[in-house]
Amino acid sequence: MASNGDRTCADWLRTITSLPGVPGHEEATARELMKAFRTVADRVERDRMGSVYAWIEGTGKAPRPRALLAAHMDKIGFLVRAIEPGGFLRITEVGGFDSRTLPGKEVTVHSAPPMAAVFATRPPHLQKRGESDRPIPLEELYLDTGRPEREVRRKVPIGTMVTLRQTPVELLGDRLAAPGMDDRAGVVVLLRTLALLRVKRPAWDVVAVATVEEEFGMFCLGARTAAETLAPDLGIAIDVSHGDMPGTREGDTVPLGSGPALSIGGNIHPWILEDLQRSAKALSMPYRVEPCPMGSGTDAMDIQIASEGVPTAVMGIPCRYMHTGVETVEPRDVDRCAHLLAHYLSELAPEWRAVEVLK
Amino acid sequence: MSADGAPKFREDVLEAISNAPGVSGGEEAVRAILAGYARDKVDSLEVDPMGSLVARIAPRGNGSSKRGPHVMLCAHMDEVGLMVTAVEKEGRLRFRRVGGIDPRILPGQVFRVGAEGIRAVVGALPPHLLPRPEREKVTAPDDLYLDIGARSREEAEERVSVGSYAVFDTTYEAWGTTRKGKAFDDRAGCAVLASLIQRRPPLPVTAVWSVQEEVGLRGAAAAARRVQPDLAIVLEGTASGEAPGSPAEEQYPYMGRGPALTVQDRSLMVHARLLDVIEETAKRRRVPTQWKRPGVGGTDAGRIAISGSGVPSAVVSVVCRYIHAPAAYLDVRDTQRAVSLIWHTLDTLRKEWP
Repeated sequence: MASNGDRTCADWLRTITSLPGVPGHEEATARELMKAFRTVADRVERDRMGSVYAWIEGTGKAPRPRALLAAHMDKIGFLVRAIEPGGFLRITEVGGFDSRTLPGKEVTVHSAPPMAAVFATRPPHLQKRGESDRPIPLEELYLDTGRPEREVRRKVPIGTMVTLRQTPVELLGDRLAAPGMDDRAGVVVLLRTLALLRVKRPAWDVVAVATVEEEFGMFCLGARTAAETLAPDLGIAIDVSHGDMPGTREGDTVPLGSGPALSIGGNIHPWILEDLQRSAKALSMPYRVEPCPMGSGTDAMDIQIASEGVPTAVMGIPCRYMHTGVETVEPRDVDRCAHLLAHYLSELAPEWRAVEVLK
Repeated sequence: MSADGAPKFREDVLEAISNAPGVSGGEEAVRAILAGYARDKVDSLEVDPMGSLVARIAPRGNGSSKRGPHVMLCAHMDEVGLMVTAVEKEGRLRFRRVGGIDPRILPGQVFRVGAEGIRAVVGALPPHLLPRPEREKVTAPDDLYLDIGARSREEAEERVSVGSYAVFDTTYEAWGTTRKGKAFDDRAGCAVLASLIQRRPPLPVTAVWSVQEEVGLRGAAAAARRVQPDLAIVLEGTASGEAPGSPAEEQYPYMGRGPALTVQDRSLMVHARLLDVIEETAKRRRVPTQWKRPGVGGTDAGRIAISGSGVPSAVVSVVCRYIHAPAAYLDVRDTQRAVSLIWHTLDTLRKEWP
């Protein structure tokens, strides 16, 4: 591994997005992330639910306040649901895909050893008239490993994790497309932020958490349990924001290359937002304000109401085509998020607290 | 003091906070009014990390060793409304709804936007210009916009920005015992709670004016963890069932017939013994009550009840017509009855709980 200083955002993005990690199956990814975090953090550990904590010790007098940065390490994928005669695999999704983006895509079935497979498609020659007018629902899609049924049955138990198999794609303008930018791009922001903070230490302790299970269930399990464990004095979730795409409207998306998207709404403590905006201005960095009227839909939702309440903010990395195999970001935006976080955290006064004592 | 020994309902507080803006996530103006009012009446007062206002009041000293349970009284400050999501180059404001608002009430409505409260209208095409089939459809909120009269993005952005909240432009009014205003869900509960803290209670009370109830009962979840009460009573403004054409058995609860007691809603099975205490107190003190319709709605009590090791919780509501709409009605006799009922219930709890 190259020394940390040599690794660019794009390098990190290529490496980290390639790791598997469907919700609940983050083990292998966590091990790799612990290695990566050890190059930038003072201390790295895992909690009982599997989230990875990477600490930067502050320079303030102990006991120091604590800032939690969260990006989720799980990515959407599938689990094997049934094995059909012929060895074809039926699957169920973990996290939400649009099934129209799947036919013809390659996947990795995470058996031991892993095997490649494809989402099977019927050639036009064999289709009935009008068949191609109707999208294929996920329940009707199936995977073909190209291996004999007996081998498949021996090696692929029900519940085996399946992820999209798509190597990162370099696009013009340094843009990068890969499955799992949601939210491995956020994990890269954490890595870059800690590298900066190690040089310019804040007064606060900073704990960057790569959380488990954001994409599954009614709440963000990893973020909620980490926030209960750490009882932080503030929390910031770093996740992807919808990039500009044809057919979308201003206000619902942020342009790629426009810098961090800072959420506004009930899920965001206004003082943190103000300070982040002040930091962006101090750095002459572009940013957008992203309206979140009914909550942010990120780890910050659960961090905010954990413990006795945590002041939270949300920083978004503009990302096109979310929840497909070609999630596209600009590494420049990822880098900007890290610089903004590092600046904000190193300016944070030791006595800053969101609780106002009026009497 | 009212005739039955309970504190008097503070209609002045209801009027002030009903008129103030406070969409979920932007409750500052309501909180400032309540904090100013509460400051000299409570022993401690703080704003928690989410923005909820938490006030602690020690019981009146009576030398008795029996202190009574620590009671959390909670009412939410936030109301449903809109958030500006984009300022278009023509100066129009696109918005999304915050909380549950029927899209059919939006066209032709007037809103107040931002802290300044500048006026905005939701325009609608005149019927002359609409083909008949269009008039039979509900206009999707995404196709509507707020018009503040600006001619350009620049002009609009001098007054509002992305993230600004908008509230219904409704002014509090009174006729007979009827009161009209916006956001009675739950400024009615907030004002009942404000009225209760005018006097030292018989047991330790923490008053919480919570945030973000309308977007998932969020503020009370964190506040309950901070307060760690022995039991909780949530004060709500709930929906009346009165409507011509509805079956007779669905017309309840009624405005003007006393506080509504909840047995169950979508968020909570009300603690049976706590409900018994409230009901018996109402009978003994001759406060008329009625039942809230079971199975619908949800309140902060649902979150408080599952906080920590669990908190026995109940809900007492002022019945309002037309909540989540621009103008709601309530009967000011009901708000006084709610104050009396809770006040006397605190006495019963001191003597009888657990």
